[in-house]
Amino acid sequence: MRILVAMSGGVDSSVVAGLLKSQGHEVIGVTMKLWEGPNGEMPETGCCTASDSEDARKVAAKLDIPYYVMDYTESFSEDVVDNFVGMYAKGLTPNPCVECNRSVKFDHFLTQAKKLNCEKVATGHYAKIIKNDNNYELHKADYLDKDQSYVLHMLTSEKLEYIEFPLGTISKPEVRQIAAELGLKTAFKKDSQDICFVGKKDYRNFVNTRVDISSSGEIVDNNGKKIGEHKGVHEFTVGQRKGLPGGQGEAKYVTKIDVSSKKVHIGERKDLLVQNFLLDEVSFVNDIVTNDLTIQTRYNSEDLPCNINEIGNGQLEVTLHESTYGVAPGQFGVIYQGTKLVGGGRISSKVLEKSGNG
Amino acid sequence: MKKSEYLYLDHAATTPMREIAIKAFIDAEHEGFANSSGGHNLSRKAKNILEESREIISSIFEVAPNEIIFTSGGTEADNWSIKSLFNKGIKSNSNLVTSSIEHEAVLASAEWIKDNDFPVTFSECLNTGELDKNSFLNAVNENTIVASAMWANNETGIIQPIKELTKEVKKINSNTLFHSDVVQAVVSAKLNFHSEGIQSAAISAHKVGGPKGVGAMFISNEFKLPSMLHGGKQELERRAGTVNVAGVASFAAALQEQQNNFDDEISIMMNEKSEFEEIVKNNFKVKIIGENEKRLAHISNIQFEKVNSEVLMVDLDLNGLGVSRGSACASGAQRPSHVLEAMGIKKEYINNHLRFSFGWSTGLGEGKKAAEILLNSLEKIS
Repeated sequence: MRILVAMSGGVDSSVVAGLLKSQGHEVIGVTMKLWEGPNGEMPETGCCTASDSEDARKVAAKLDIPYYVMDYTESFSEDVVDNFVGMYAKGLTPNPCVECNRSVKFDHFLTQAKKLNCEKVATGHYAKIIKNDNNYELHKADYLDKDQSYVLHMLTSEKLEYIEFPLGTISKPEVRQIAAELGLKTAFKKDSQDICFVGKKDYRNFVNTRVDISSSGEIVDNNGKKIGEHKGVHEFTVGQRKGLPGGQGEAKYVTKIDVSSKKVHIGERKDLLVQNFLLDEVSFVNDIVTNDLTIQTRYNSEDLPCNINEIGNGQLEVTLHESTYGVAPGQFGVIYQGTKLVGGGRISSKVLEKSGNG
Repeated sequence: MKKSEYLYLDHAATTPMREIAIKAFIDAEHEGFANSSGGHNLSRKAKNILEESREIISSIFEVAPNEIIFTSGGTEADNWSIKSLFNKGIKSNSNLVTSSIEHEAVLASAEWIKDNDFPVTFSECLNTGELDKNSFLNAVNENTIVASAMWANNETGIIQPIKELTKEVKKINSNTLFHSDVVQAVVSAKLNFHSEGIQSAAISAHKVGGPKGVGAMFISNEFKLPSMLHGGKQELERRAGTVNVAGVASFAAALQEQQNNFDDEISIMMNEKSEFEEIVKNNFKVKIIGENEKRLAHISNIQFEKVNSEVLMVDLDLNGLGVSRGSACASGAQRPSHVLEAMGIKKEYINNHLRFSFGWSTGLGEGKKAAEILLNSLEKIS
């Protein structure tokens, strides 16, 4: 079949293109240009750089497949970057990879693939799609170290029908080995870990240049007592430890960010314990299931046993069997049953308020 | 898909080399490989080939041989003519007047001048695709050292009112150098620089079936431009660097053949383009840019209603038709065109254009075949 492969220039998507080609598919490679400098140039750092697209082109040439660079900068800028900046300005912790998958890769890109008569799109994500009767299920990758199902949680069965994740059953070392066997120059290329449009720079500087931060305010303790000042709520994220005033006694953490009063609340580690919280904008891969569930509250974090309760309006109440640290509003809560992804949604800031300090 | 089945309608980007140009290149390399500036027998052979080529090319444009300087291409000639007079020591209000629809080689040179703190005017463009003469001429004054306007636009093919401009500019300031990028015009128009009033022009070999990396600058004997490349005394002491004799010979052979076959080649391009446009507009909602304006024979810029041309272009490629969209940036992504923006085409349509360009190698029936492939894709994508 004809398959459109999103090629970032990294080893994973290179191998996807190679594997699909060797299985006899008609493979078309596309580098999605997501972000650009002031003169339309590809960025120099992060991922999606000019040298990455050059690597993708070389891999496509080696595999003898058609290859294109297509422009998604407008959609990326509106749906991902503006959202990223806006979330920090609201005291939330964004996850741009989820937004990019939702709005760009598995929406805009998928639509274009259909127009080009491609039966599927494939990416180098580590996750598995399993067909079960007429439903498509999303599962964790066999190679759990790299499992990326978390950032794909918004994919419904209807979307999964048009998607291939060929790396779902392969380990990273195997991917590198395949790349080497295929003679692909990306075989030993370093993985990119940065937020692609921020690169190695501090995300705070990035946000600073895009949002009016005349929102300096107070840093307060559990009793509401002022213990310092800050230059803007976007510089903080719940659970953050660095860059806080004080230093005596126990370590301090950001426990709450109140955008309306511009107050950053800090407290002790125990204040970060959370057992109940809400998810907004919830979606499910297939019909909802409620037994034997676990949840990840950050990308590739521990699976925490939980119960869920649908409360309508796209909201879901999550009750953990045991309280945990590190539930940051704005991040996503992704629910699994074993390896099967059930659904997920954005962690709401409301519940943290409801449960007082914790 | 076999290469031979691929339909190439991107001649405005570049053309395949003519057989005669390839032969001229090889022959010149065999007989005239030596350095044309040397003092021995073999050098003289190279020098003879070089000067014969210069005569062929200068006579085509009806200029003196010493008014033609060989360059690495159109971009170099544009840079040279536009930038080289803006030296240290000239009056700070010395200015450049050009238009907003120029080729990047001109626009970027103009930006360079601006960065060096000299005033630059980018005159406006009318909705018709013709530059706005009034806006251009209003900017010309006694301190205008260079005025630059292309003879015909490379994206739309729309012919510009150069003769009127050169006449009016001369009335305002007889010392102004009038430069014209004629790279695209040369493909399908016969030009006489002196009668057009052009004093400097950029010409490229590869648009007419010659080799890439070779071009020429016409510079009227009334003007002397400072050198851009410093070194040896080649090209009448105006451009340093060992001359690409074989490239120049090949360039001359290509232009010569083009002139000999001019009417036939143009009529094929015209017919194929008309047939292509007729079929397309009768079967799909399109706007042909400059349809009722004076256009070059080989360029057709089409706006498709509600069809993003980025995907369309990919689909055409997958189906064996190569065309272009705006100008390519470094990554290979295709960007919307500054020319269409300058023409006031609305933002929602700016990504809906493709340029189809015919050329000397276009054969009978290609317009119809291209239209069929295009309609097929449109049916799928829209």
